[in-house]
Amino acid sequence: MDQAIEGRELITLAGQGVIVRGTFHRPRTSGSGSEPGASTQNRIGIVFLNSLSLPRAATGDSAVYWAESFADCGYPSFRLDLPGLGDTAGDIPLELLNFINAGGYASITSVKIDELVERFDLSGVVLAGHCAGAVSAIYAAAACPGKCKGLVLLDPYFHVPQAIRPKVRQGLSDWALKSRIGGAVSNIYDRVRDALLILRGNALPRNANFGLLSRWKEVASTGLPILFLKAPARKAQGTKPRAGEFDYLRYVLGLAGRNSKVVVELIEGTDHSFANCLGRAAVRQHTERWLTSYFPLVEEVAVTALRSEADNSKNYDQCHVDCLH
Amino acid sequence: MEHAGYRKVPGAYLYTVLHEVPDPLARVLLIGPFASERHNSYLPWVRWARYLTSKRIEVLRYDYRGIGESTGTFEDMTFTHWNEDVELLADWLKSRSPDVPLVLHGLEVGGLLAGSAFHNGIGRALLLWSPPATANQALRSTLLRWVGLEHLFKPSEDVKPAAEYIRQLEQGAFVEVEGYQWSSSLWRDSFGVKLPPSMIDDCTAASAYDRPVRIVKLDKRAAPLVKGGFVGYDEAKDFSWLFAPNAEWIAAVPRRVQGEGDGPSD
Repeated sequence: MDQAIEGRELITLAGQGVIVRGTFHRPRTSGSGSEPGASTQNRIGIVFLNSLSLPRAATGDSAVYWAESFADCGYPSFRLDLPGLGDTAGDIPLELLNFINAGGYASITSVKIDELVERFDLSGVVLAGHCAGAVSAIYAAAACPGKCKGLVLLDPYFHVPQAIRPKVRQGLSDWALKSRIGGAVSNIYDRVRDALLILRGNALPRNANFGLLSRWKEVASTGLPILFLKAPARKAQGTKPRAGEFDYLRYVLGLAGRNSKVVVELIEGTDHSFANCLGRAAVRQHTERWLTSYFPLVEEVAVTALRSEADNSKNYDQCHVDCLH
Repeated sequence: MEHAGYRKVPGAYLYTVLHEVPDPLARVLLIGPFASERHNSYLPWVRWARYLTSKRIEVLRYDYRGIGESTGTFEDMTFTHWNEDVELLADWLKSRSPDVPLVLHGLEVGGLLAGSAFHNGIGRALLLWSPPATANQALRSTLLRWVGLEHLFKPSEDVKPAAEYIRQLEQGAFVEVEGYQWSSSLWRDSFGVKLPPSMIDDCTAASAYDRPVRIVKLDKRAAPLVKGGFVGYDEAKDFSWLFAPNAEWIAAVPRRVQGEGDGPSD
């Protein structure tokens, strides 16, 4: 049984008595042709965190695709299973969503980032997370300000969602989704909520995740480079929320302040998982561009990056991507 | 001890995790569900492996070729490749100590692969959880759920009915379902992947093969091992009602195959 194959290697991070399992995607360099295994010294590592209860491969193995792509560009990439998730041992709380929303994985993620940085001699890491994984990434970035050099957030949320919706509400939602009359009622409901939102002066909703917003402000206002990728939402226009919903994106951009380096991209043609062909290609291309812009590689790998960029541009035209900035 | 690693198979590497125990009562090859179902059921599936280990039963679990941590391109894979994976891993697991009985345990489509291998003489006992009648039934059910999810993200007028995707598959096009490119050949072949006729129930199967067989139909309580439930909530729930009797059945396999005959299981 091999621990390593071409381009990737299974790793365990055992520091502080907690064993975390993951996969390391070795960076390629132009100097060694297509051979992987280049030194990771002084490079930025890309670290993927679990999205809620999904294993580290993520929906449709999209995280494997992204990690391989970034490693091909010269960035050592790591996919970790946090304690209790994927192949890493540990008990997960019954209320996993609440645990994550309260920053439950921040401390252990921070410990493991330290370990990765030391073991692979990295200059720091960019944390990448999708949905609940993005929430963990924000908390972890606040917990290790020196080592976390950037964030890639895929459809993060800033409220505290209910893990289980009441049956009646779920039934109404299903009816609204699938019937014409239900759709019409849903539109009226949206307008009423919109009016109420205006009456409340667009105040932050009661179920906002105040702890997360505070960590977001902490990290974003320092000028930490952040790439914020959004998938289209149902009944929403562009990056705007559905009528009647609070505009968290606008709010968090305001919180980030003038010195922030938050780049927002809307990725058309995908869904919340970003796992379809268009979604994964667009995430890859936006992130590679963002990485080259904020974390340029040393000369020896620049050629590879450019080649990859050239390859990307072939597919890029097929994707309908709107750049807000 | 859990040992994760890659095993070479033709054209790819399989990701495997051996849950090793000293002096095991039995060894079990876990053959998990298909493609996107892998992700949903992963946590309880791993917990099941650990539960078995705690009962002195050694376990090998793995990802199908082209899925999860295994390498290979999903759209190039066929059920023949996945059958081959089962045979190769069963051989390896058995070779660790041939006297310890090898049990094949399949969930959903994994049940069909396990059933096929068992039919071909592999394994001393067979445990199936919710095997569909055919692989197509499992694919169809995944497709229906995915179309349902599409309603959450797209305007109703942009959501195609499942029948439209099935028509595309039948006409030779690829259809992307939860990040996996389903080919028309995968769809076509899935009709022919079914349980052997003698596996209609435990008793018939055990008599036909003269080896212990147990077939369990899981209901929604077993979500997310089967479809349903709440993501991020059901993974942590208590599965001992399911794990305990099935682990006991596996632990009794050596006794059944050695001396007491193997008539109808349970």
